[in-house]
Amino acid sequence: MAGGIKKFVVGSFSDEAVLFPAVKNVRKAGYKIHDVYTPFPVHGLDHAMGLRETSLHTAGFIYAITGTTTALSFMTWVFTKDWPLNVGGKPHFALPAWIPITFELTVLFSAVGMVLTFCYLCQLSPFVKKHHFHPRATDDLFVMAIECTDKTNDAEVKSFLEKAGAQEINVQMAETGWWIGRYDKEQKLYREEKGY
Amino acid sequence: MSLLKYESQQREPLVDGNKDYHQVTEDIISPIEMKPSKLWYIGFYISVSLLLFGVYSVYREVTYGIGQWNLNKTIGWGWDITNFVWWVGIGHAGTLISAILLLFRQGWRTGVNRAAEAMTIFAVMCAGQFPIWHMGRVWMAFFVLPYPNSRGPLWVNFNSPLLWDVFAISTYFTVSLLFWYSGLIPDMATVRDRAKTKLRKLLYGIASFGWTGSTKHWQRHESLSLVLAGLSTPLVLSVHTIVSFDFATSIVPGWHTTIFPPYFVAGAIFSGFAMVQTLLIVVRKVMGLQDYITLGHIEAMNKVIVLTGSIVGCAYLTELFIAWYGQNPYEWYAFSQNRANLFSPYGWSYWLMMFCNVVSPQLFWSRKLRRNITVTFFMSIVVNIGMWYERFVIIVTSIYRDFLPSSWSTYYSPTIWEIGFYLGTFGLFFTCFFLFSKYFPVIAVAEIKSILKTSGENYKVKMTDIEKADAEKFYHEVEHAH
Amino acid sequence: MNHQFELPGSYKKWTWGLIVAGLLALVYGLVMFHPFAPVAHEGEHGAFSSSTRFWAVLLQNSVYWLLVVNASMFFICVTTMAMGGWQVALRRVPEAISSVVPILGIITFLVLMAIIWGGRTDIYHWLDKSAVAHDKILNGKSGFLNAKFYTIWSAICIIMWWLLGRKMRSLSLDTDKSGPMDHETSKRWIWKNTVWASLYTVFFGLSVASTAPWLWLMSIDPHWYSTMYSWYTFASSFVAGMSLIALFVIFLKNRGQLEYVTEEHLHDVGKFMFAFSVFWTYLWFSQYMLIWYSNQPEETKYFIQRIGTAGQPGPYKGIFFFNLIVNFLCPLLILMKRGVKRNWTMVTVMAVLIIFGHWIDFYQMVMPGTVKEHAEMMPFEFGIAALFIGLIMWGAGRYFTKNALVAKNHPFLKESIIHHT
Repeated sequence: MAGGIKKFVVGSFSDEAVLFPAVKNVRKAGYKIHDVYTPFPVHGLDHAMGLRETSLHTAGFIYAITGTTTALSFMTWVFTKDWPLNVGGKPHFALPAWIPITFELTVLFSAVGMVLTFCYLCQLSPFVKKHHFHPRATDDLFVMAIECTDKTNDAEVKSFLEKAGAQEINVQMAETGWWIGRYDKEQKLYREEKGY
Repeated sequence: MSLLKYESQQREPLVDGNKDYHQVTEDIISPIEMKPSKLWYIGFYISVSLLLFGVYSVYREVTYGIGQWNLNKTIGWGWDITNFVWWVGIGHAGTLISAILLLFRQGWRTGVNRAAEAMTIFAVMCAGQFPIWHMGRVWMAFFVLPYPNSRGPLWVNFNSPLLWDVFAISTYFTVSLLFWYSGLIPDMATVRDRAKTKLRKLLYGIASFGWTGSTKHWQRHESLSLVLAGLSTPLVLSVHTIVSFDFATSIVPGWHTTIFPPYFVAGAIFSGFAMVQTLLIVVRKVMGLQDYITLGHIEAMNKVIVLTGSIVGCAYLTELFIAWYGQNPYEWYAFSQNRANLFSPYGWSYWLMMFCNVVSPQLFWSRKLRRNITVTFFMSIVVNIGMWYERFVIIVTSIYRDFLPSSWSTYYSPTIWEIGFYLGTFGLFFTCFFLFSKYFPVIAVAEIKSILKTSGENYKVKMTDIEKADAEKFYHEVEHAH
Repeated sequence: MNHQFELPGSYKKWTWGLIVAGLLALVYGLVMFHPFAPVAHEGEHGAFSSSTRFWAVLLQNSVYWLLVVNASMFFICVTTMAMGGWQVALRRVPEAISSVVPILGIITFLVLMAIIWGGRTDIYHWLDKSAVAHDKILNGKSGFLNAKFYTIWSAICIIMWWLLGRKMRSLSLDTDKSGPMDHETSKRWIWKNTVWASLYTVFFGLSVASTAPWLWLMSIDPHWYSTMYSWYTFASSFVAGMSLIALFVIFLKNRGQLEYVTEEHLHDVGKFMFAFSVFWTYLWFSQYMLIWYSNQPEETKYFIQRIGTAGQPGPYKGIFFFNLIVNFLCPLLILMKRGVKRNWTMVTVMAVLIIFGHWIDFYQMVMPGTVKEHAEMMPFEFGIAALFIGLIMWGAGRYFTKNALVAKNHPFLKESIIHHT
């Protein structure tokens, strides 16, 4: 999924209390927020940006039942079909004795599957290099990147951001594509969200 | 003022001092960027020497056989399984802190969870050594894995609690590691973005998986943490439960009792928190993190210690009582003679356990003592000694006298190589912990930042207006803000 | 909120309807089952008399509902000790439920005493002096299983739950009168609360989590024992107690009360219902599996009495597995979803299901050892349950109308208002 080089207007906020109204105003004005980079999970920011809920936990549930089924069916097959063994006079289908392993594999499948899915969705992996809009985005700044199209007037966006309370506003060119995010379509437009 | 969260001023701040986000980063990350102190080197080398001694002890055991240990008939499980259970128990606090306390929304966990989780992982690594080397012919260790083989095809015995252990411990290790590391990724990115040297940039760049702090990523990250916490909570319970099944599924007097699973879990949490106290009291001092691991944190953990200590006490007494109530002569003999009789060969260990685990934690009913660092440090060691003896009592006092007096065994005490192996795991544990404290952020930076504005001292003092406001008015403001 | 809450007519109708139905069932039992007739001796042909059923049903219901309402106070105390904030907006609900403890406590005590001093050896075999004299094991237990100790300890348990619970409630109600507290007063108040809560919790450990279930329920099968028993009983009653709290919260919310309670709080109550259903299953499994695994006759007979053996299914087999479906599978699969825990209707359904499920659990704890294969689940059984439900509704309703529904001066109330899961 190669993308071209795109232009972004980037502004940083130092206080989340300023960030929230800014996000709202920027979206209201019709600009497209590419992303906001924050040093910690800011409660409610995903809603403010109109991101849809993640369904990662559903994936976790599916992995979990896969684990349950794998464990139970495998043990059943081994002890009733492949090699029935009398252990302490227990029935071949010794369900109570299999619950512990079944449970462990349920958890194992779910946890491993979810972490891998998380890494895949967020494109996280060792040796991955991504464009960082501001080095302090992992320290104390909330960095907003607004995507520019051909029609966007940078200067207008910049002054808009400045009014919204951003500092260190600049324009950066970055390659789009999978390493700077591929969830543009997940973001609802402000108009759609509010219904006008 | 964005009213999204609010914390009463009745609660102690979780972060002391005048902090902003940058200061938090600075405080926690800068020790990583400096050269380690002399004290660190001394500690590190002592740990490595212990580890090497352990390696040599294990080498002796492997080359000369299990006879290097003093295990005998009927004590086939001596120090090694005691140590195994002890270490696994210690390895419970970390995941408990991060998982259960996350679900219970206990804010104070943010100060201690990272180090506690690391400790968990190292403790489980130590624990795993014991059953593996106890196998004797360790080169056959892969026999525990269920794979199609040339022996029949004879599978592993899925009905055996010992095999359940294989699954439980390996799952627990894997999931704890994933949980811990997924929490570390954002903090590794913080270290990366501050790095000055090329090497650090490269290494922390690899370790941070290219984390940017994107809102969508955070959203998924939170969902992941929550589900992992939800999975880890029953997982923590299951691990020590399954360890307790090793004993409780048998018909050995003193082992076969249905309360074992929850009682083992309570004991594990108890000893785990004690170990966290031991480590963090030192870490906060040496690394100057008193603002993040405050007396409030220590007090909270002491509360958990007195709670779980009392639960364990309740279980000890239940066991003892039901042994009498059951009127099974063998069960009652194991309790009344092998354990509770102070003058029986191992009676001292039972009473030592009772004293350390049930009596001494009751000190922590006193708020003053809960907030006293010296007392806490001392108590944390006492508790860990007590919990070691709990496993020793369970194992040794139950099996040194078999059903027939003719097969009663002689007094068991370990050889130097058994002790060496145990010391070696301390070496492994502390070597790992020293490396961790040097190269990893010992406190979850991002999590501290997320609670800073509700629980930081300098922010809390500004909340007086809200604290005094009328509930009704406050309610309408909150409603309005949404 | 200054206005007093008025119970709606339908609530009153239901309360009295249930109580009257229950009293009818009780009268029916008194007339038809001859509860005070002498106990038929075991082993005699056709020994079963319906009076056994009468006392067994009363024992099951009184102990179950008492432990369920008492669980509310336990919830208050542990959340107090843990310095919980979120539950403050609904705190008056568990308080109201726990205010029923004295009423149910007295009833339970009367039932227990009637069984003990009425010489109901069909309920408690260990009351049979001649049998105990010939039974080495029961003789050995007589230091614990005897009428005097039973009486004294039961009385102490009930009185302590009553008194300590009353203290906790009065501490809470005091804040309504005292008005807003300043920082220092709040601090002292929290401290006092914590001290009383920990006293209650310690006593709870000595009673509900150990001795009380041994005496009241485990001794029905006097030869059998399980160290897990009391913790299992606790888990069962606690999850039902949480469900009862949920039901009353939803009822009041539907009546436009508890304005600070939102889906967020419901979500958390739902989480408790979910988590403790799983916890109950964990204890159930641990007890069952360990006994199944070690396969010792003196232990397995408890389960054989219920499920039977492979060749001969026992009379309680259906109920035994039904118990697992209602109390484990349903909560696990349904309450797992976030949306369900935030849905007022779904939580209501699940709460009713869980309360019923654990009633069944207690049913299968009591009946096999008493009425054996003569167990029935007829209007009489449900009628007695209705009596207790009616009493709980009456007692809790009285508390709701007499006191403010929101502890408006609680220091953590604002945390609860702004609460987000």
